Amino acid sequence: MSEKELGKKWDRCLADAAVKLGTGLGLGIVFSVIFFKRHTWPISLGSGAGLGMAYANCQNDLRSHYMLRKNEKVSICF
Amino acid sequence: MAARILSVVKLATKVTIAGGAVYVVYDSGLLGSSEQGAVALEKAKAAIPPAVDEWMKYFGVEAQLPTVPKMEFAPLEAWNSGVRWTISALSEAPTKASDYTYQGIQYIKDLTK
Repeated sequence: MSEKELGKKWDRCLADAAVKLGTGLGLGIVFSVIFFKRHTWPISLGSGAGLGMAYANCQNDLRSHYMLRKNEKVSICF
Repeated sequence: MAARILSVVKLATKVTIAGGAVYVVYDSGLLGSSEQGAVALEKAKAAIPPAVDEWMKYFGVEAQLPTVPKMEFAPLEAWNSGVRWTISALSEAPTKASDYTYQGIQYIKDLTK
């Protein structure tokens, strides 16, 4: 993986983490206000879930370069 | 009878609002892959200044939002150059230390002459 590609992947990771954290927080707030009498735990759960999803996405993205895909041919050099 | 209907209506409203929020989030791709998340962030960043302007006009406030300064900072470049600078400083440190010590001793000798 070239450095440029790696840098782009990290940028995407950070942007995705910000988006998912915000989304989780927002949904947590909505559920906390509507269903759970303004307790804090849905907000923590939502933010945590969002961060976890971002981590998993980032992990897949960074590993995808080294994954073999079905139709790809791999050359073996001795 | 009316109280029960009211409580059912309240529950239905709550479920509609929460379900609508979840649907909007899912539909806009906020919970999808990294690319979708990055695209959504760019769209949000592009949509903020016009939205803020609209709200300012609505409230009759003519204050200008300070423009976010454009940062030409590349963390990777800064880190790499920082590492290079640190290592070169460390490698030159003994030579420089002995030079400065020598100069200091000379200075004190000159003072005591």
